[in-house]
Amino acid sequence: MPAYNNEPLLEMFVFETTQLLEQLEQVIIHSEQSKSFGPEEVNEIFRIMHTIKGSAAMMHFKDISTLTHKIEDLFYFIRDKEPTYIDYSTLSDIMLESIDFIKLEIKKIENGGKPDGDSLPIKEKIDKFLTFISDPNSQANKSETEEKYKKRFKTTIFFEEDCELEHIRAYTVINDLKNIVEDIYYIPDLEQSDSAEIIQKAGLQIWFTTDRPFEEIHHFLSKTIFLKHLELVELEENKNFNKYLNKTIKAQQKITDTSLEKKDFEQSTYMVSSTQNMISVHVAKLDKLMDLVGELVISEAMVTHNPDLEGLKIDNFNKAASQHRKIINELQDIAMSIRMVPLAATFQKMNRIVYDMSKKLSKEVKLKIIGEETEVDKNIIESISDPLMHLVRNAIDHGIESAEERKTKGKAEIGTIVLEAKNVGGDVLIIVKDDGRGLDKKKIFTKAKAKGLINKPESECPDQEIYSYIFLPGFSTSENVTEFSGRGVGMDVVAQNIGAIGGTVSVDSIPDQGTTITLKIPLTLAIMDGMIVKIGNASYTIPTLNIREAFKPENNDVITDPDGHEIIMIRGECYPILRLHELYKIETSTVEISDGIIVVVESEGKHLCIFVDALVGEQQVVVKVLPKYIRNFKKIRGIAGCTLLGDGSISLILDIADLIKH
Amino acid sequence: MKKVLIVDDAAFMRMSLKSMLERNGFEVVGEAENGEVGVHKYKLCHPDLVTMDITMPKMDGIQALKEIKAYDRNARVIMVSALGQEVFIKEAIKLGAKYFIVKPFKEEHVIKVLNQIK
Repeated sequence: MPAYNNEPLLEMFVFETTQLLEQLEQVIIHSEQSKSFGPEEVNEIFRIMHTIKGSAAMMHFKDISTLTHKIEDLFYFIRDKEPTYIDYSTLSDIMLESIDFIKLEIKKIENGGKPDGDSLPIKEKIDKFLTFISDPNSQANKSETEEKYKKRFKTTIFFEEDCELEHIRAYTVINDLKNIVEDIYYIPDLEQSDSAEIIQKAGLQIWFTTDRPFEEIHHFLSKTIFLKHLELVELEENKNFNKYLNKTIKAQQKITDTSLEKKDFEQSTYMVSSTQNMISVHVAKLDKLMDLVGELVISEAMVTHNPDLEGLKIDNFNKAASQHRKIINELQDIAMSIRMVPLAATFQKMNRIVYDMSKKLSKEVKLKIIGEETEVDKNIIESISDPLMHLVRNAIDHGIESAEERKTKGKAEIGTIVLEAKNVGGDVLIIVKDDGRGLDKKKIFTKAKAKGLINKPESECPDQEIYSYIFLPGFSTSENVTEFSGRGVGMDVVAQNIGAIGGTVSVDSIPDQGTTITLKIPLTLAIMDGMIVKIGNASYTIPTLNIREAFKPENNDVITDPDGHEIIMIRGECYPILRLHELYKIETSTVEISDGIIVVVESEGKHLCIFVDALVGEQQVVVKVLPKYIRNFKKIRGIAGCTLLGDGSISLILDIADLIKH
Repeated sequence: MKKVLIVDDAAFMRMSLKSMLERNGFEVVGEAENGEVGVHKYKLCHPDLVTMDITMPKMDGIQALKEIKAYDRNARVIMVSALGQEVFIKEAIKLGAKYFIVKPFKEEHVIKVLNQIK
């Protein structure tokens, strides 16, 4: 194999192929679930395989190109010959296995290695499958046994004139019919705006399969409210029903092209296959852009807050500076938004996980995705993918019960996992919620006690606290360590990964109803609004987001409790006081309560009163992490980072959540 | 005689529906001005049918439908909707409502529906 060291081309191959594989995965899963590989899906699969084959061949990645070529042949056959009986489950398995193979090879390439995997075993599977579906005997046998006892019917229902809302009445008919027959197809699409008119003129046409007798179905349909006229026929055994279906029904549906399912599907893939009006940008360039914008904000402050200008009356300058500031703010907003990427792609990846696990554990689970258009910084996307996968796996493995168990509990047999993303304040919340059996409080408490993590009795521990123990390292109450989870390595790694990007994890659960895990992730902290405060000669910055109020206290507002801690009453509530000069041992002449200022801060529902000498002013600051030699030496309580002020001095930024915790 | 429970937040609607039903051989065993009272009265009177308005204060028709169905799987609830509430009707049907009637009422439609629901 020639030494291919054309870096940009290789990167493009990896990038494009990865995107195509993700698209392909969605198509396969979606088609398998709806039990149909229609002409649109087949064409898309064909197109994707063809593209990957071409690029892989150009890069001399032989195993990938021959594998995709085989798949192309397979789908060419399916598209051309339209075999009636295809085992979709096997087909999906083969496709997913092929996707996994190529993904693995891509990973090797990405890491600078060679794609040395052997695709022969998969190619043989494909050959076998192709032989099977092209064998006329197997086609005949299968289709016979499939349709032996089930008959196909077609019914046309006309409603009384002037009954209005025919499309809703049609909806009730379909809804009732669902309980007694299978494979329902109908025209018109009830989501269409003119569906009521179509039903008035041409009636509601329904095709379905059932093994119930004609009379029973006729009797059932005759009871339709506002029924004017009913036609019911049993369709002849038609070996090419699928073809008939595709051509007549789906073709008619497509003319109007507003089928809801299709729209949902298209919407959820547009994120992954964006080709219009977009360009791909190297992340390194974006990082550089962010850095420069950050420097620009600092230098703007250095200009407008320059000590040389102090005391001068410079109205024109101030006007210009304010305009300057406005433009820089806009630039900063745009720069941050460029790096923002919707969570859609990450969420869609979970479809595959749910699909695989459902199959392997024989549990029917449905994944509901809400708010996938919510955007987060590109860096964050990378860090939450693995934790999310673990949480979803966990929910299916340990949360969702088997269908029988759910039935005895009176729950729907199909378990549901909801994956939701939303913006709240300056954070993004990602919620993984399942309707399974919930966390076992007693088990967790016992295990935590056994590990020496708790010293008080169960009655003194609030539920939330007990549930939060699952995030401690080495914690797992599963009896069996399954292939997927239970090694006690998962939850704490999730907490760590989320903590590394500045976020928090919390869990809540109701026995037998389910468990909800919430990830709270701050949007880029790089630039934020802060209130500069003075203590002695030192300057500190309090994030404006955390400030609730500030005021000048009186000496007798403050009470000292038996342990010697100072507290203050505000509107009937007690808040603890933190003297920053004591915490950080700063020399200052302001020690009397009435000489300084109290800043009331809040984080996650808890409040704290910080005592400072004076407020200096509000400013936009660029957060910089503390220098390595300080970070490595000792973890300093309550400091999130530092920033450079306009006059060139350094201000330490307070970590409110950390201060409150202690 | 079929027993009906009328749930609607407007006294006028309750009154007009009640007289319409009584004229046509139904017995109105109870009225409720919101979903919460509706659920409560269902448990007391066990009517054969319930007419359930959708938009009501305190607890809406969809929630009340859920609770009544949870209490009695075979409850026959007919949703009462105004124009433009099609999304809610569909949701209610999915949740187990038997059918629907639309305001302003056409007497013969209402009676036909209530007679045909078994």
